[in-house]
Amino acid sequence: MGLGFLFPLGFAALAALAVPLVLHLVRRLDLVRTEFAALRWIGARTRPQRRVHIERPWLLLLRLSLLAVLALLLAGPVWQSPAARGDGGFIAVAPGVDRAAARAAAHAEEGEWHWLAPGFPAFEEPQPAASVPLASLLRELDAALSPGRPLHIIVPEEVAGLDGERPRLVREFAWSVVPGRMAGPSTGKPASLRLEVRHDADAEGALVYLQATVAAWNVQRPGCCELATASSDVPVAADATHLVWLAPISEDVGRWVERGGTALVSGVAGDEGEPLWRDAAGRPLARVIARGQGCMVALPGALEPVDLPILLDADFPQRLWRALAGSSPAPTRAVAAQAEPLQETGTRHGERRDPADARPLDAWFALLAAMLLLAERLLATRRRRGETA
Amino acid sequence: MATPIPIPAEVRARLAGLALSGRGGGGGFGQHPSRSRGAGLEFAEYRAYTQGDDPRRIDWKLYGRSDRHFVREAERDSTLEVWLLLDATASMRQADSARPDYSKLDAAKLLAACVMELALRQGDRFGVLALGGAAPLRIPLGTGSRHRDRCHFALAGLEPAGNWPAADRVVHLAEGIRREALVILLSDCFDDGVATLAGQLAGAGREVVAVQILVPDERDFPFRGGHRFVDPETGAERRVDAAAVRAGFLARFAAAREDLARRFAAAGIRLATFVTDEAADAPLRALFGAPRGSGR
Repeated sequence: MGLGFLFPLGFAALAALAVPLVLHLVRRLDLVRTEFAALRWIGARTRPQRRVHIERPWLLLLRLSLLAVLALLLAGPVWQSPAARGDGGFIAVAPGVDRAAARAAAHAEEGEWHWLAPGFPAFEEPQPAASVPLASLLRELDAALSPGRPLHIIVPEEVAGLDGERPRLVREFAWSVVPGRMAGPSTGKPASLRLEVRHDADAEGALVYLQATVAAWNVQRPGCCELATASSDVPVAADATHLVWLAPISEDVGRWVERGGTALVSGVAGDEGEPLWRDAAGRPLARVIARGQGCMVALPGALEPVDLPILLDADFPQRLWRALAGSSPAPTRAVAAQAEPLQETGTRHGERRDPADARPLDAWFALLAAMLLLAERLLATRRRRGETA
Repeated sequence: MATPIPIPAEVRARLAGLALSGRGGGGGFGQHPSRSRGAGLEFAEYRAYTQGDDPRRIDWKLYGRSDRHFVREAERDSTLEVWLLLDATASMRQADSARPDYSKLDAAKLLAACVMELALRQGDRFGVLALGGAAPLRIPLGTGSRHRDRCHFALAGLEPAGNWPAADRVVHLAEGIRREALVILLSDCFDDGVATLAGQLAGAGREVVAVQILVPDERDFPFRGGHRFVDPETGAERRVDAAAVRAGFLARFAAAREDLARRFAAAGIRLATFVTDEAADAPLRALFGAPRGSGR
């Protein structure tokens, strides 16, 4: 807690304090010019009044304080919040760590104890239940804490909430691993989808491939897909999420997709959408077209090997799964010892200032300066009037 | 009547009780041979004829009675010659801080105008001599309202400038002033040359009265704070804290005035002090007023 300055070089402006001082000392000599014929009877001995005498000391004081406030304003005053300047370190405990184990790991270290969870709740509060983005929180903590403040991270043996990049921290930190396991997001619920197929008479040949694809899915993840085949004049079920439309496209299908469905549609010509699959020559074999909240995998031709050679490829089921159900989530769990953040050495943390923990006081100082200026003007003009009177 | 130098009405009213007079009172300047035979001739004495007397002045009736030549001496009310000697040096530019547009020279002009009114009323002849300024101003003796107006206009154009002229030039200028003339010196008397000239004139038989013109600032020294005092004549300046030097200044200034008064008294010069915030008739009243009441 206290006053801090973002730009201490601004204190160089304090040198300007010399200006009113000199003015008040010199102005004394630059006196009221008075024609006075009886000059010779003004004592000559009193002429050089070398005693340091400051004219209007209160006015000088006002002017000095005005300049000082302006210099402080230049120096970028901030009010550093208490959290940023605790003497002890910051001890972040990941959810999933037993309290007693955490206390033991930190050896009752002095400092602020917080859960490593969004908002960094105090350690006394109940353990956050939900899974937390651990890597992201570590980066946030590193950025928000004042430079040089030690950080102690206590994590369970198995951590979750990681992402593709190991966190890099600019500060010294301790990484304590205690027994436990972090709750993580479910590693992708066994995705199951119900594939509604609507086809007209021409497309019955394609059903074979669809059935084969679904069978391949079910081999990989048993029971993950259910195929519901019907004629194209049968309405699509309201709760259906995935649709294979093997008939001339109709307005109904477009509206269904716009409501958030994912559809594989054959026989859609045109350049609309992003290419999804390409053949060996680079020509797009399928495109993904966003429609409203849903999307459409559009095949230029029919779902036949003639138009879609990759239909016969071994990885076609996986391709189609990714296109329809999305890819599997990236792994977010790791053994804590392997997930220890890296120490960033390139940045000197002493120079990094973080404005988040400091409230700027510019407005207050500007207000103070304005008031001082007003008072200075008042005093200066009042005195001047008094002198001439 | 509008004149370039207006005399305040109350001053003009108070002037009515004043009369210019020369040395000795009574206005008897009988030693002057009269060049005119006016109605004012008054018998004074007979004296024996001596060689060189105009034969026309022999009293032939008395010769018939006594068979001796007597010359009839007339004592007459000779007119007074009044010379206004104005100091128009730069120091007369001094004005009071409370009334910055009214200089000592303006006060001197007002006094001169008052004296001219008195002289005009008495039929005396008056002339103006102003030293300092751009050039010496000399208006010969004369009388009458036309002459008065001429003096007024000349004085109105007078601006304070320069220093008191060197002694030899002053003497040359003052030579035109006859003996027994009344010289009224209007000056701040700060310049030593002024007192010297006054002494010379008085020593040479002229009746000299002096009015020392001061401003209230010099009498009271009301300044406070730092001041840079500049001498209008020499340009010398003195930077002082006014409050600190006040007592010293007042003491020295009073001593200087006493010194001047002694010097003038020794030379037979009557001195009056006129501070510009007083009424203009005050110094004239002090010089020509009631104590000398025998009057004419």
